[in-house]
Amino acid sequence: MASLDDPGEVREGFLCPLCLKDLQSFYQLHSHYEEEHSGEDRDVKGQIKSLVQKAKKAKDKLLKREGDDRAESGTQGYESFSYGGVDPYMWEPQELGAVRSHLSEFKKHRAARIDHYVVEVNKLIIRLEKLTAFDRTNTESAKIRAIEKSVVPWVNDQDVPFCPDCGNKFSIRNRRHHCRLCGSIMCKKCMELISLPLANKLTSASKESLSTHTSPSQSPNSVHGSRRGSISSMSSVSSVLDEKDDDRIRCCTHCKDTLLKREQQIDEKEHTPDIVKLYEKLRLCMEKVDQKAPEYIKMAASLNAGETTYSLEHASDLRVEVQKVYELIDALSKKILTLGLNQDPPPHPSNLRLQRMIRYSATLFVQEKLLGLMSLPTKEQFEELKKKRKEEMERKRAMERQAALESQRRLEERHSGLASQAANGEVASLRRGPAPLRKAEGWLPLSGGQGQSEDSDPLLQQIHNITSFIKQAKAAGRKDEVRTLQENLRQLQDEYDQQQTEKAIELSRRQAEEEDLQREQLQMLRERELEREREQFRVASLHTRTRSLDFREIGPFQLEPSREPRTHLAYALDLGSSSIQSSIAPKTPTPSSAQEPIRVWSGPSALGQELLTQSSMSQQNEGPSLNPFDEEDLSSPMEEGTASPPAAGASFGPSAHISKEYNPFEEEDDKEEAMAGNPFIHPDSPAPNPFNEEAEHPQQRHSSPLVPGNPFEEPTCTNPFEMDSDSGPEAEEPIEEELLLQQIDNIKAYIFDAKQCGRLDEVEVLTENLRELKHTLAKQKGGTD
Amino acid sequence: MNVVFAVKQYISKMIEDSGPGMKVLLMDKETTGIVSMVYTQSEILQKEVYLFERIDSQNREIMKHLKAICFLRPTKENVDYMIQELRRPKYSIYFIYFSNVISKSDVKSLAEADEQEVVAEVQEFYGDYIAVNPHLFSLNILGCCQGRNWDPAQLSRTTQGLTALLLSLKKCPMIRYQLSSEAAKRLAECVKQVITKEYELFEFRRTEVPPLLLILDRCDDAITPLLNQWTYQAMVHELLGINNNRIDLSRVPGISKDLREVVLSAENDEFYANNMYLNFAEIGSNIKNLMEDFQKKKPKEQQKLESIADMKNVKRLLQNPKVTEFDAARLVMLYALHYERHSSNSLPGLMMDLRNKGVSEKYRKLVSAVVEYGGKRVRGSDLFSPKDAVAITKQFLKGLKGVENVYTQHQPFLHETLDHLIKGKLKESLYPYLGPSTLRDRPQDIIVFVIGGATYEEALTVYNLNRTTPGVRIVLGGTTVHNTKSFLEEVLASGLHSRSKESSQATSRSASRR
Repeated sequence: MASLDDPGEVREGFLCPLCLKDLQSFYQLHSHYEEEHSGEDRDVKGQIKSLVQKAKKAKDKLLKREGDDRAESGTQGYESFSYGGVDPYMWEPQELGAVRSHLSEFKKHRAARIDHYVVEVNKLIIRLEKLTAFDRTNTESAKIRAIEKSVVPWVNDQDVPFCPDCGNKFSIRNRRHHCRLCGSIMCKKCMELISLPLANKLTSASKESLSTHTSPSQSPNSVHGSRRGSISSMSSVSSVLDEKDDDRIRCCTHCKDTLLKREQQIDEKEHTPDIVKLYEKLRLCMEKVDQKAPEYIKMAASLNAGETTYSLEHASDLRVEVQKVYELIDALSKKILTLGLNQDPPPHPSNLRLQRMIRYSATLFVQEKLLGLMSLPTKEQFEELKKKRKEEMERKRAMERQAALESQRRLEERHSGLASQAANGEVASLRRGPAPLRKAEGWLPLSGGQGQSEDSDPLLQQIHNITSFIKQAKAAGRKDEVRTLQENLRQLQDEYDQQQTEKAIELSRRQAEEEDLQREQLQMLRERELEREREQFRVASLHTRTRSLDFREIGPFQLEPSREPRTHLAYALDLGSSSIQSSIAPKTPTPSSAQEPIRVWSGPSALGQELLTQSSMSQQNEGPSLNPFDEEDLSSPMEEGTASPPAAGASFGPSAHISKEYNPFEEEDDKEEAMAGNPFIHPDSPAPNPFNEEAEHPQQRHSSPLVPGNPFEEPTCTNPFEMDSDSGPEAEEPIEEELLLQQIDNIKAYIFDAKQCGRLDEVEVLTENLRELKHTLAKQKGGTD
Repeated sequence: MNVVFAVKQYISKMIEDSGPGMKVLLMDKETTGIVSMVYTQSEILQKEVYLFERIDSQNREIMKHLKAICFLRPTKENVDYMIQELRRPKYSIYFIYFSNVISKSDVKSLAEADEQEVVAEVQEFYGDYIAVNPHLFSLNILGCCQGRNWDPAQLSRTTQGLTALLLSLKKCPMIRYQLSSEAAKRLAECVKQVITKEYELFEFRRTEVPPLLLILDRCDDAITPLLNQWTYQAMVHELLGINNNRIDLSRVPGISKDLREVVLSAENDEFYANNMYLNFAEIGSNIKNLMEDFQKKKPKEQQKLESIADMKNVKRLLQNPKVTEFDAARLVMLYALHYERHSSNSLPGLMMDLRNKGVSEKYRKLVSAVVEYGGKRVRGSDLFSPKDAVAITKQFLKGLKGVENVYTQHQPFLHETLDHLIKGKLKESLYPYLGPSTLRDRPQDIIVFVIGGATYEEALTVYNLNRTTPGVRIVLGGTTVHNTKSFLEEVLASGLHSRSKESSQATSRSASRR
C-alpha cells in the first residue's frame, strides 16, 4: 500500500470529516480515522449533534472547495486551499498546555494546620463526653461543678478583669462565667450553651460515625430546653444567680463554633438531599443509553441495509428498551425540576437554577441521543431489503469478476508483449532469481503480496502484481521494461484513486442519509417536547428558558428555525436518492422511511417545496442534463420570483448533485465503459470523476444564472449509459404545474438548440422526455380537476 | 498554535479531573469571559457543570452536593475571596485552578484556610487570555499606555497574558521588538524576565527552529484602525461592536428580545465561520436579508474611501452634509497621517473646515492626538517616509483604483512586516532581537503581539498569511481588538491629546511652511 503514496503527489479531497484535517490519501484518512476517532462513538460526551454538524461542515467544505478551485481562484476566497498554507481552523489539535501543580505544597501546609485543628476538635469532644457521662439531673450542682472543674482547669478569676469577647468589665452584676470546655472566662452575654442532645450527637458520632443516628430531629441550635427547677441548690451562693445546668453545658463562642462546624460535617455525611438521589438515577439512565444506543444503531443500520446478522425482533426489543430509558430520563429530570417548588420557604434561587439546568441538559441529552436512533424497517420492508441486497451483491460480484478478468486479460496481453521484446537468454538467467518466473512470459506476482490482497479490490491486486513485476524487472536490470511497467502502475494507481474517491464520496452521501433519519427523529422528539413544555408551563409556569451568567445560550427551540431549511434540503436530498433507488429496481417500492415525512412536514414550505420539486425534476430530466444546476439556471426566473436565498440554493445544489453522482448505475456504467476500453487508460471526457464536474458549477452560478449558453454543452459530454438508465418510473411526488410547464419550455428550448446544432440523437432523447413531461402534466390536471 | 483549543483544553481538563457529579464553576470577572469564549453553555452542561458563579458574589447558597471548580486569576482579591470561601465552604470539594503563576505565600495562606480539607487540587492552568479565533487573542485592555509608556498595572497584566499564552501553546520563543517603541521594549524585557524566572515551566520539547515572539506597537500603524474594514467580522465590529464574540444589539430600536445579545462564534455559527473573512462585498448578497442596515451605510463609506486620495475630494467630502461628524474627523485624521510631512499639506485648512462643519472640539482634538500617536515622528518604519513618496502614492492609488474590489484596497502594514519576517528580511536595525542570539533560519511558529490593540483586518491578514505560506503558523494578539471608535478611545486614554495640542499645531505650521 505504501507504494501508492508517492510522497510528492498531493491527492486532494481526503479531508477527515471529523477534524477536517487534510489527509493526503484514502489510506491515511482511514488510519487517521481509526486512530483518532474510533473512540468517539463510545465517548459519553461525544455529542451526535456536534458530530453531525462537523460532518456536515466538512462535507460542505469539501464541496465548496471543489467549487472554488474551479472558480478561477484569483480572488482571495475563503475556501481556496491551493496556496499551500494551512487554515488556522484546521491546525492540528492543540495538546494541553503547560500546567503546574501546587497540590503537594498545599497539602504540606494544610497538614500542619489540620493536625492542630483536629487535635483541638478531638480535645473538645473528649471533654464533652466527660461532661455528659454522668446523670446531670440527679447530681447536685456543687458536685457538677466539681466534676466540670476536673475536666478542664478553670482560668483564675483574678487574671481576667474584662470579658475577652466584648471587653466589658466584670463586676458583681456582670459576673464571670467559665467555659466548661476550655476553662476560659467570658461574660453572660458572650456565653454559649450546648444542649445535651447536641452533645450526645457529637460524642456518639465520634464514637462510631457510621452508626445510625436516631435523634437528629432536634435542632442543635435550640438550646432552650425545658427548665426544671433546681431549688435544692439554693444553698450555694453562686447558684442564686447561677441557674443549675442540668441539661446543657456552658461554653465560649469559640468552642461552640468549632463544635457546630463539626456537627455540620456529621450532618452532611449522613444526609443526601433528594436532588442527589434523583440525579444519580438520572446519570445511571444516561449511562445505560450510552451503552445500549450504539448497539442498537449498529443493529438498525445493518437491518436497514438488508443484512441478516441481527434479528428484527431483537432489535425492536432493544429499541423499546432504549426508549423506555429515555422516558425515564425525561421523568426524572422533570421531577428534579419541580423539586421543592411547593415547599414553604421556597428553595434558594441557585437551587432552582441548578434544577432547571439539570432538566435542560437532560432535554439536550435526549434530543441529541434520541435522534441517533434510526427507525427499523417493518417486516415486509425488511424482506424487500434483503432481496434487494442479495441482488445487489450478486451484481456487484459479477461486476468485480468481470473487471478482474478484463484487467487480467489486458495485463497478460501487455506482458506477453513485453516478454516477446525481451531476449530469451536473459529471461533464462533470471530464473535463478529469488522470484520464480512463469513460463518465461513475464514477471510473476510475488506470492506474499497476492495472498494478502486476495479478496481486496481487483485493481489493488493488479497494483500489487505490477509492483512486484517492477521489482523483478529492476532486479533483472531491464530498464525499458521497468519504465513501461511503471507507466502501467501509474495508470493503475490513478484508476484506483478514482475509485477510492468515489467510494469516499459515497460514504459521505450515506452520512447525509443517516442525518435525514436522525432529523426525522429529532422532529418527532421536538414536537413531543414542545407538548411537554406546554404542559409544564401550565403546571408550574417556571420552565422558562434558563439564562445564566454570560454564557451563550443555545436554547433547545431556538435551534429549530435555523435548521428548518436544512432539513428541507435534507429531505429533498433524500428524495433524490430514493427515487434513484426506485429507478434501479423499478418494482421495489422505496423502503426509505424518509419519504413519508416530506408531506407531513408543515413548515414554511415555500422554499422546501420548491427545492423538492426541483430535485425530483432533476431526476426526471436526467437525460439531457447531468447537472442539476442547469435546471436551476433555466428555471431561475421562477426562482427569483420566490427570492430563495442563494446560500440555500448553493448548499442544495452540490448535495443534490452528489446524490445523483452516486447513482450506482452511473458509476457502474462508467466502470463498464472503462473496462470495455483499456482499463488503464482512463477515458477522458465522460468524467466519472465527480470533482471535475462539480468545478464548473460555481462558475456557472457566479456568472449570471440566466446565461443559457452552457447548459447545452452538457449533453455533449453526457454518458450514453446514463441516458438509458432512467426514463423509468419517475418520482411519485406530484409536481407543481407551474414547474412542469417551465420544464417543458426548457426542454423545448433544448430541443431547438440541439436541432440547430444537428445533434439528432439528443433531439430524440429530449423529445422523449418532453412527451413524458406532457403526459405527467395531463395526468396531474386530470387528477386535480 | 490554536489558541481557542489551547484554552478549551485547559477547561476540559479541569472538568474532567473533577470526576462525575454535579458541578459548579466558580470564576471571577475575567475568567468568566475567558471561559465563555471557548465553551458554549450547552457544551459545558453536557459535562455536568450546571451552575456558574462569581467568586465575588455574596449570596451564594451552601450546596454541599456540588463540586466546585474554581478558575481564577491569581489576584490578591481572588485569593482573599478564596480564603473566605475555604473557611466556610459552600460546596463539598474544591478544585482550584489559577490562570497564571501564583506565589508560594498565597498557596500557603490558602492551605491554612482549608481546615475542613475540602480542597482536592491546586494548579496553574495558563488560560489567561481571551481566545477570539484560533489565531487571534486579546487581553481586553483598553488604554494600556500613559503617554508613550506603560501603565504599570497594564504592563504586568499584559506580561501575564503573554507569558500565559506562551505556556499554553508550549512555546519558549526568541523575542524581537519594535525598536521605535519604548513600550515594546519594556514588554519584551518583562516577558524575558518571566521566562528566565520560571525557566522550569518553559522547558518544552525543542523544535528545530525556535518559535518567535514579535512585539509591535500600534503607533506604528495608526491608519489601519481608522479605515473601515470590509470583512464580515470586522464590519460587525466596526458598526455594532463585538465584545467577547458577543454583539450587543440592545441599543437598536425595536429589536426583538431574543436578539438583544447575539453571539458570533465560528464554532457554532456556520454562516459566520464561512464568511467571517470573506470580503464584505463578496458576501453582501448572501446577507442581504440579514444585514440591511450595513448596506445602508455602504455608499457613503465607499464614497469616502474612494476619494480620500486627493485633497480636493477631502474638502468636498467635508462639506457634504451627509458625512457624519465622526467620519469627517476620521477623514481628516487619515489625511493628516498620510500627508503629515507633505509639502502641500493643508491640514490647518481642513481643520478649519471641520470647525466650520460644526465638528465638536473633542473630535478636532483627536485629530492632533492621533497624529501625535501614530505620526511619522514615532513610526519606526520607513514605509511612508518622504523618500519613497512615489511608492506611497503608487500604493495608495493602486489601493484605490488598481484593485478591482474597492473594498480590499488597504493592506495593513502588518502584512509587510510579517511578510518580511517570514522571508527572513525583517531588518534587525528596526526590529532587534532581545538578547544576543538570533534566528538563523526563517521562522516557523510566530506570535505577533500588538501593544495598543490589533484589528480584525490584521487578523484577516494573518489568516491569509497562514493559509498561503506553507510551514508557517502565525498567531496574532493585542491588548485588545479595535474598531475605529475603540481605537480613538485608546488614543484618548493614552492622554496624548491634552498636551499635544500646541505641539501638533506647531507641527502643522511648520509643515505648511515647508
